[in-house]
Amino acid sequence: MVEATSKANGGDAVATDVAAAGKARAKRGIRFRYARYVARRLLQAVPIIVVIVLINFTLIQAAPGDPVYALIGQMETTPEYIAQVREEFGLDEPLPQQFLSYIAKIATFDLGYSFRFRQDVSGLIFERVPATFLLMGTALVISSLLGIGLGVIAGRRPFGWTDNAATIFALAGFSMPVFWLGQLVLLVFALKLPWFPVQGMVSLRAPSHGWGYIASVLHHLVLPATVYGIYHLTLIFRMTRIKMMDVLVQDFITTARSKGAGERRVLFVHALPNAILPVITVIGYNFGFMLAGSVLVETVFGWPGLGRLMYEAINARDYPLLLGLFVVISLFVIIANVLTDIIYALIDPRILYR
Amino acid sequence: MQWMRMLAFAAGAFCAALMVATPPVAAQQRGGTMVIALSGEPSALVGFLHTDTGGHSIAANIFSGLVGLNEDFEPVPELARSWEISKDGLTYTFHLDPNARFHDGVPVTAEDVAFTFNDVVAKYHPSRGSWWPNVESATAEDEHTFVMKLKKPFPPLLTLLAYQLRSGAEILPKHIYEGSDPMTNPANEHPIGSGAFKFVEWSKGSHVVLERNDDYFMEGKPYLDRLIFQFIPDPNTRILAFERGEVDFIDYTAVPHNEVARLAKDPRFKLLTGADAIAVQGMWLLNVRKGPLAKNEVRQALSYAIDVNEISDKALFGAGRPAHSFLNSNLKWAFNGSYDVYDRDVEKANELLDEAGYPRGDNGIRFTINILWAAGRPYDGKSAEIIRDQLRDVGVTADVKTYDRPTFIEKVFDQWDFDTAMQLYSTGPDPAISVVTRYHTKQINHSPFTNAMGYSNPELDKIFDEDASEVNEEKRKENWDEAQKILMQDLPAIPVFEFPDGHLANARLMDAVTGPYGYFQSRHNAWFKD
Repeated sequence: MVEATSKANGGDAVATDVAAAGKARAKRGIRFRYARYVARRLLQAVPIIVVIVLINFTLIQAAPGDPVYALIGQMETTPEYIAQVREEFGLDEPLPQQFLSYIAKIATFDLGYSFRFRQDVSGLIFERVPATFLLMGTALVISSLLGIGLGVIAGRRPFGWTDNAATIFALAGFSMPVFWLGQLVLLVFALKLPWFPVQGMVSLRAPSHGWGYIASVLHHLVLPATVYGIYHLTLIFRMTRIKMMDVLVQDFITTARSKGAGERRVLFVHALPNAILPVITVIGYNFGFMLAGSVLVETVFGWPGLGRLMYEAINARDYPLLLGLFVVISLFVIIANVLTDIIYALIDPRILYR
Repeated sequence: MQWMRMLAFAAGAFCAALMVATPPVAAQQRGGTMVIALSGEPSALVGFLHTDTGGHSIAANIFSGLVGLNEDFEPVPELARSWEISKDGLTYTFHLDPNARFHDGVPVTAEDVAFTFNDVVAKYHPSRGSWWPNVESATAEDEHTFVMKLKKPFPPLLTLLAYQLRSGAEILPKHIYEGSDPMTNPANEHPIGSGAFKFVEWSKGSHVVLERNDDYFMEGKPYLDRLIFQFIPDPNTRILAFERGEVDFIDYTAVPHNEVARLAKDPRFKLLTGADAIAVQGMWLLNVRKGPLAKNEVRQALSYAIDVNEISDKALFGAGRPAHSFLNSNLKWAFNGSYDVYDRDVEKANELLDEAGYPRGDNGIRFTINILWAAGRPYDGKSAEIIRDQLRDVGVTADVKTYDRPTFIEKVFDQWDFDTAMQLYSTGPDPAISVVTRYHTKQINHSPFTNAMGYSNPELDKIFDEDASEVNEEKRKENWDEAQKILMQDLPAIPVFEFPDGHLANARLMDAVTGPYGYFQSRHNAWFKD
């Protein structure tokens, strides 16, 4: 390629060649920096996870309630049987030993064995990840689009009626607990107006495949994702609004307007990209909150994801499962933060990671 | 051609007339999917690993037991077509149905039955301790004859075997489990039984699917194509799903009682009630080891101080009945409510408390007790609150405390760290199975759902011990009459309400509950009407 170009362009070719090589080197340098940055952040995650495991292990052990009593069911039993269950799941070992053997297992990527479900923890968790990610992802997209959209509209004319209406909507969504809003939405859009199903991820009575299956999942996804999205849009909305208010009074906006740029162009091409950075941080930060808060939305809508698994794990005092969930969720949050940082740099070329 | 048309018309008219004249045959219609809502996900599907009712409501469709129970709590054939009991009451001989096959096509033999009891139930079942030690041997006499020999007669044996959740008597395939560790056998996740429905999938966190077993040994059954058990932990969502038609059946433990009256009136739904062999009672357990509650007069005074009619009415939204004995009234042959002399009488309660040496202090208070209840059981919480209000009238202050279930069990049944506690106790299908384990001195043993109250009465223990091997039915009735009299005098607990036994069902769903275990029975009789 380089040879062909130099033949065609004569003397200039050498200069182009050098510039191209320089650019390529710079790109490689940035890529290398990214890779180094990501690797460093992921390595930093290791001690964080150890601390998370230690704190949670201690907290869980300090909480009252013996897992054996969650395991035996509803019928009376004997002390011998209880001793047998304790031995089976290693619950009769001293606590420090339980902790050390757990850490040793995690080091080999073994998250242990759930005594509530009698299955490997990692298998249990990863079976549920797609359902949770589908719900969280959709809710994140809804909250981001709605939050940014409303923020732009509101920031354009602060304290006008559109701003007030959008603020009331966003604050109302945030103030209502998810389980309550969920119940209300179910009463209206699933029961009074039977447009959507009440619970689950797919219709079980009429099993479907291919496109039918996808349609059924999407149909089940609408209500939980919307409710969860509305709940999480407030911070995004508030941040977009305030940043738009800042940006819209700056000189370059006046310049853009005086050059004759249309209002839509001013808002979305000139103002929004300059207002978006902190909004990206909020969206990344929301991801962690969404995962942690998925317990409620998944329980209300009977969504078979990580949140419900955590609910069951807490009820059953299933320590290995609960710790496994904490580890995996922490990892996801760390990855989400790293991704947010990278998106940051992509949007704002002034940001460089070392 | 016209005569042909006329002939055809005449033939049609004749057929139509016949159809009108002949009453429709009540034939069960085939096909359809029954969706059952469960309040939680079971820990296992195979019965020997747990005594979890949700798990058993699925397992009862996959596995068969030796015998079942009819609505009068009498044993009826299941895998065993017939049986004989020796005159001394020690030897039970069961003749198995030769048509019974496991879902993988292998015939069910007496070897499978013997293996299930000797190698699995005896070693792993949580409730084995209460009955298995009395078994001398369990052997296969020939391919279809199974013999169980006892050390001492135990008349409720057949009733216990029919209560498969308690006995673990769900017959397992020996060829799948032999030589393996039953606790970790992969078949536990994909169970193979000989029941009316075959296992299809267990989607963790969501549902279990079973499909019709075409080779089921009860000919012509089941009628449904599929059974789906969906796990819906939130009670409001569960009831909304039911109203929306996503669910056809919610058993009585998973029904929010405040919704029952409203939904039962709706023509799309129905409330299924019947003889319930679990016979659950709401009991107010009293720790008799220490403090004022150690005195019998104080316990009697508390019983006079509370109004069980008001509690059962308010705590269960009119769906329950007040309890009048330590046995549920569903156990018709043994129940005697006449020993309940404790109609609310504040004056009498005050008198008794004064006599017991607990006069009112300057602030009008005699003493303070706590009432513990387990979260997730709103009727227990409401009962505790009403009891607290009613006790104020006699100068007793109650501190109502709620704990999550594992903590509650640990505090009450292991540590005995409580004054009083609300707890559901099953009293059926035979009191020798479910009542003795609560009040016998031997049962003061730190185990869940046993004698946490620390109550001991040698006279009652003697009745319990004698009754366990009593063959004469009249004598058994006398035994239980006497036992109820003693318990109602001693009051190691106060019976508060009989738990409502109504299941909510789709009005088109027929014969879903055909026995006394409607809560978790096999649905081989169930069908949908158009």
